[in-house]
Amino acid sequence: MKHIRNFSIIAHIDHGKSTLSDRLIQHCGGLQDREMAAQVLDSMDIERERGITIKAQSVTLDYKAKDGQVYQLNFIDTPGHVDFSYEVSRSLASCEGALLVVDAGQGVEAQTVANCYTAIEMDLEVIPILNKIDLPQADPIRVSEEIEDIIGIDATDAVTCSAKTGLGIEDVLESIVANIPPPVGDPNANLQALIIDSWFDNYQGVVSLVRVINGEIKKGDKMVVMSTGQSHIIDKVGIFTPKQRDTGILKTGEVGFIIAGIKEIHGAPVGDTLTLFKREAEKPLPGFKKVQPQVYAGIFPISSDDYDNFRDALNKLSLNDASLFFEPENSSALGFGFRIGFLGMLHMEIVQERLAREYDLDLITTAPTVNYEIACTNGDILSIDNPSDLPPINNIDEIREPIVQANILVPQAHLGNVITLCIEKRGIQKDIIYHGNQVAVTYELPMAEVVMDFFDKLKSTSRGYASLDYHFVRFEAADMVRVDVMINGDRVDALAMITHRNNSVSRGRMLVEKLKELIHRQMFDIAIQAAIGNNVIARTTVKQLRKNVTAKCYGGDISRKKKLLQKQKDGKKRMKQVGNVEVPQEAFLAVLKLDK
Amino acid sequence: MLTAPPLSLYIHIPWCVQKCPYCDFNSHEFGKGKGQKEIPEQAYIEELIKDLDDDIKHFSLTNRPLHSIFIGGGTPSLFSAQGIGSILEQVLSRFEHNSDIEITLEANPGTVEADKFKGFAQAGVTRLSIGVQSFASDKLIKLGRIHDSKQAKVAAKLAKEAGIKSFNLDLMHGLPNQSLENALDDLRIAISLNPDHISWYQLTIEPNTAFYSKPPKLPQDDTLWDIQEQGLALLTQAGYHQYEISAYSKTGKQCQHNLNYWQFGDYLGIGCGAHGKVTDTVSNQIHRTVKVKHPKGYLDVNRQALDKLVTVTTDELPFEFMMNFLRLKQAFTLEHFEQTTGLSASIILPILTLAETKGLMIHTDSNWQVTELGHRYLNDLLEMFLTI
Repeated sequence: MKHIRNFSIIAHIDHGKSTLSDRLIQHCGGLQDREMAAQVLDSMDIERERGITIKAQSVTLDYKAKDGQVYQLNFIDTPGHVDFSYEVSRSLASCEGALLVVDAGQGVEAQTVANCYTAIEMDLEVIPILNKIDLPQADPIRVSEEIEDIIGIDATDAVTCSAKTGLGIEDVLESIVANIPPPVGDPNANLQALIIDSWFDNYQGVVSLVRVINGEIKKGDKMVVMSTGQSHIIDKVGIFTPKQRDTGILKTGEVGFIIAGIKEIHGAPVGDTLTLFKREAEKPLPGFKKVQPQVYAGIFPISSDDYDNFRDALNKLSLNDASLFFEPENSSALGFGFRIGFLGMLHMEIVQERLAREYDLDLITTAPTVNYEIACTNGDILSIDNPSDLPPINNIDEIREPIVQANILVPQAHLGNVITLCIEKRGIQKDIIYHGNQVAVTYELPMAEVVMDFFDKLKSTSRGYASLDYHFVRFEAADMVRVDVMINGDRVDALAMITHRNNSVSRGRMLVEKLKELIHRQMFDIAIQAAIGNNVIARTTVKQLRKNVTAKCYGGDISRKKKLLQKQKDGKKRMKQVGNVEVPQEAFLAVLKLDK
Repeated sequence: MLTAPPLSLYIHIPWCVQKCPYCDFNSHEFGKGKGQKEIPEQAYIEELIKDLDDDIKHFSLTNRPLHSIFIGGGTPSLFSAQGIGSILEQVLSRFEHNSDIEITLEANPGTVEADKFKGFAQAGVTRLSIGVQSFASDKLIKLGRIHDSKQAKVAAKLAKEAGIKSFNLDLMHGLPNQSLENALDDLRIAISLNPDHISWYQLTIEPNTAFYSKPPKLPQDDTLWDIQEQGLALLTQAGYHQYEISAYSKTGKQCQHNLNYWQFGDYLGIGCGAHGKVTDTVSNQIHRTVKVKHPKGYLDVNRQALDKLVTVTTDELPFEFMMNFLRLKQAFTLEHFEQTTGLSASIILPILTLAETKGLMIHTDSNWQVTELGHRYLNDLLEMFLTI
């Protein structure tokens, strides 16, 4: 056990985490050179395409250190985007140490700070690594100071390396062996293994990534999932190298996979504890804190026949995405679907993409909204995550919107732009601290403004240098109103939005104009109106299409003309019928595109 | 109960002097360095007749009379009058037919002279379809036509003098940079030439054409609508009755050949890339044929002309029937639907009824007719008959 090192990497997007992990795997011979597809750990297509890590993954490496001993290094990968901080804490819970990878040119970013604090709170040994040391703009001394200044850990012995060129990789490995403590645990105690992640594999059933805290687990053992009390015989036990390799056993302190022929998707929930049927542990491990979704949106199958498939897909996704929250929703415009809670907009996009790609579902997503607290005149307090659930205005005493504290790190040169953006988004400045070139500025902002496109705007207004971390602080009364949309007089529940009264008229106007662009001309004029209660605040008209007819058609090839019409019809099938009007899918997300 | 409808014959002549940028028909330039230097007229005629004999044999057509003939292209008027005469003679000897059978030939105003028209008339052509497209010189250039507006007028005059019974002018509207007045002027000139029939259709940019890859600037929607409305009024006033989306004729002068297409009749298609449709009352099936598309392959004596033969499935039939018949102003009867498709009318009645509630169709007894609204939105109406 004293030759085991379990660690994660904390890094901001683009600071080179994936490249560094590739390099570590290569150095330890985990894969032959020809097998090194770039970023081997990002196995989801979406991860590789977007260059981000969404899910935790692990790899076990054998490293022969300079002291002549062979060490088992278990690297548990972590996501880097602000939406996925929850996944990060899961990965950290299975480690004794973390590499804090910082771009030696760009310096520390807010997200890194937040994750680093999580690691320190969990008593992990944090090793600072300065990456991209080969680049001309690398300034290791300044960045070391920044680490000490902003995060408050000693960076005098920070390892410098370049994952790209391979420079300093051995130093990184030596530092892991020297500084990260080996796991502690009792090999003779009853088994306690923490499920770090579970996913559904069509051929193998549920595969779980576990960290053995106490005891050991072998192939053929009868194990018990402690929260459900259900027992299963273990078919396979092993490690990822990163290829899946059976070892037949996982000992105390080790990280690897378990397959127990579990077909039922909630059979091995993330954060649960596994023990043995014969020698059951007294109590489960602490597990993980349940996360609260921050944005909610309705997702509906285009064809109502897909409803069951959609529900199954959500169940499968939620197996390894504990942050995914969903409940049935019924919309008069879109039929039966689900109200789904997400950690943020990126999370929402990724879930949408996974549903479309991995489950081949055709879905309509409505504009996302945050959770509001409604104080009713009769004294009730309601929690509302769907604009159409808002009670009648007369029954509302006040609407309270969620406020977040946003910690932003930005180089001085871009501070002005960032402050302008925060004011525009109804922010109130709470704190501002100068750390050399970097400024740490703290704002309180309405969550609704932050979750939508704030992160993108922050990036563009600071040329990519500003970084953000935020958390919910409280609900606060605000003058919010619901803007309804009517299409040819029919109120479309799925298009309603909650917005601040001061912005309502301009947003209503932009919304109807956007809808006008998206709704194609049909056989009649289409009136699009935005209204608060009965008060119409904006209206526009999509003029009727004068005719829709093919000029020429002789005996000849009718199959081509038929194909054209079939295409036209297929296009319409992907639309939703509101009264007589065909409304394309994109229209339901129009609210998101108002500020562009 | 499937009954054999009238049988027409389409003959495709694939060559053109120059390919027009809007044209998506199967046509090939010749004499320009690419393609052949000269049209292999004699060899092609031999292949056409072989092609026809194969069809007759394959579908056992010896007992079915011939309803009409249409020679299209390409530019059939590039063929010699003797050549056309030889084709018609051999075709007519193989079928029973009325003595006044309609025989249409497409002609390009840039390829005709007085003698040739007389020759066509003597060869048996009863109807000439002249591809004028426009009388405005700038528009003709834009359309890549090889004739000018004067030749277009001359061609109309020659057709009459040559003793051809009936002639049609093909005219387009919605041309690049065309104004309402431009379009109406074209119609006025056409009417002044007193044709029996005018095919007046809106320019459509089709895939695989020069216009598709480099789209010209077309008139606005509202202008197109004005052209449509005022053009129709002009034609009606001059005695041309609209009987199909783009076809207008004097009383009794409808194109029998095209009418047969639209009434879901049968037709053989011979020549490069020609399409055919044949009802087989023995097997109770409707077949579609496609012939080898490229002249090189078609002229290969070792290769048979038939490229594709498919049987129309019963779920495609209602749509195919509607795609044709609903283009017509006239009503169809449910009996006609049953006879030409072999299907029960109960299959389409729910859709027809739905279309009626939308104001797209109207009926009395078993006669169903498309309304004016239905013709404006014919594509939306037709979509309703697509099964999936």
